[in-house]
Amino acid sequence: MSQIWKNTRRYAYIYFLFLKYSLISLMAYRINFVFGMLVELGYIVIKLTYVYIVFRVGENINGLTPYNVTLFVGTYIIMSGIYSALLFFNFIKLPELIRTGDLDMYITKPISLQFITTLKSIDISVAVPNIIGGVIMVAIGWNQSHIEVNAANVIGYVGYLILGVITTYSIFLIPQMLAFWTVKTTGLTDLSNSLFDFNQMPMTIYNRLLQRVGTFIIPVFLLTNYSPLFLLHGLSRLEMVWGIAAPFIFLILVRIFWNYALRHYTSASS
Amino acid sequence: MSIIEVNNLSKQFSYYKKELGLKSSIKSLFHRELLYKQAVKDVSFTVEEGEIVGFLGPNGAGKTTTLKMLSGIIYPTGGSASVLGFKPWERKKNFKQQFAIVMGQKNQLWWDLPANESLQLNKCIYEVSDHDFAMTIGELTELLDVKDLLKVQVRKLSLGERMKMELIAALLHKPKVIFLDEPTIGLDILSQKNIRAFFKYYNQQNKVTIVLTSHYMNDIIDLCKRTIVINEGSVVYDDDLANINAMLEEKKIATVTLLNSVNKDDLLRYGKIKEHGELEFTLEMNKENSQQIIKSMLENLPIADFTLEDISIEEGIAALYQTR
Repeated sequence: MSQIWKNTRRYAYIYFLFLKYSLISLMAYRINFVFGMLVELGYIVIKLTYVYIVFRVGENINGLTPYNVTLFVGTYIIMSGIYSALLFFNFIKLPELIRTGDLDMYITKPISLQFITTLKSIDISVAVPNIIGGVIMVAIGWNQSHIEVNAANVIGYVGYLILGVITTYSIFLIPQMLAFWTVKTTGLTDLSNSLFDFNQMPMTIYNRLLQRVGTFIIPVFLLTNYSPLFLLHGLSRLEMVWGIAAPFIFLILVRIFWNYALRHYTSASS
Repeated sequence: MSIIEVNNLSKQFSYYKKELGLKSSIKSLFHRELLYKQAVKDVSFTVEEGEIVGFLGPNGAGKTTTLKMLSGIIYPTGGSASVLGFKPWERKKNFKQQFAIVMGQKNQLWWDLPANESLQLNKCIYEVSDHDFAMTIGELTELLDVKDLLKVQVRKLSLGERMKMELIAALLHKPKVIFLDEPTIGLDILSQKNIRAFFKYYNQQNKVTIVLTSHYMNDIIDLCKRTIVINEGSVVYDDDLANINAMLEEKKIATVTLLNSVNKDDLLRYGKIKEHGELEFTLEMNKENSQQIIKSMLENLPIADFTLEDISIEEGIAALYQTR
């Protein structure tokens, strides 16, 4: 037990160093840092047009008021920020590490290769505007939907958001791992990223088959839909349990697939 | 038990053949001819603790592939290997904490940060204590003369300075086995010399085992008593560097300057002509009867000057590179 605790502390400290070094690297290029934030602000404006349209039409969507929809879009924006800041740049770099053979040095380190390659780079500049913008929208949607601010609701919302981060990690890493065989994965990356956009609107706007597929087979709706659905009492008991179990099931599957894929690493010639 | 044991290690890579041009690119979308390359073929050798072994071969001979298998980076397709008692490709944490690999063409330091930040990260990854970290950094920066550069951004360092920092990062956890893959590539003569001197000292002080690949002969001559030459994936020589001549059937090289030019055919009967000019030529002959040949040449040819020497190590190795 003490070994597990020691290891957890070690990994947490190394992750803290990743965060610190990423921040120092970002600050070294101030103009790039500022432009990164401005670009993200631009994306938020585009995402807000969905909300604008909903308010303009002024009608309920499958029983959801425009303020309820704001809750969904706000959660989607928060998750976009978390995904872009913590995972996206690491994931797109993985095929490059495989193609150039730069993965070699990481393999020789006495630390989880999956940990170091998928979590090393952190880009705070993309997170700040998204998280601030998203939290404001969620606060407005929460308040105007007359949802009580109590411990159960806050824990449920944040809990499903954290579980969504775990699911996001798993389902967006899988396409990149195919690079161990195909070397380049740009096409698959574009496809998987477009799946993320399914969360811009509540999953209830899609037909039943698509909802089932997006919940149980390729669980894209677990990324950002479950937090607001929990607040709006839109989750069945089965969906609540699945929302908790699925992230861990997919994380284990990704781990198994990672170890299998790594056997196919052939490096690059020197 | 030897610290490194390699038995019939093999590695085969698959690749696709593609003809020139757009048409063949379109064709390759639907059908590709799969080919196999045997990069390493039944390589066997052992290395004892504290040895420095030179691992030589022409480009594409299989040196780096062998080192990558021995450091667990890639899986072999056949054979077995043991380094420090571990099967490298099982990638056990205990194994990784006891060896290091330095590749001259790859780096591990964070480009935009001072080197001391990357060293701090390695300290945590390798679980080096604060006391050992301070001691090792102090010793290595002193030896490599880079104490004042620890706080300089890595991208601002010269290639030689960067390589020294890479070495510190690789040696921070005091590895027992070090694989060096062209550590002096691209460095100026003085930097090469400094790095060689460092490894010589480091090996003597710490009794570490070093396997070194390099295309610079001085690296090998200065550091390695024993050399393994690999060509087309197979070991073609494994012995002391000094014995390379014996392997080449005791050849001698005669460099002769003539007073006036002679017919090339008149020279051929004394040995194999390696270089030929108007009045100068280089001849390869058997060591056994070299004295008789020289005597005969002095009697029959208008010789102004001549020297007779063993085949140089460079030439010996070059000859081994051509071994099939």
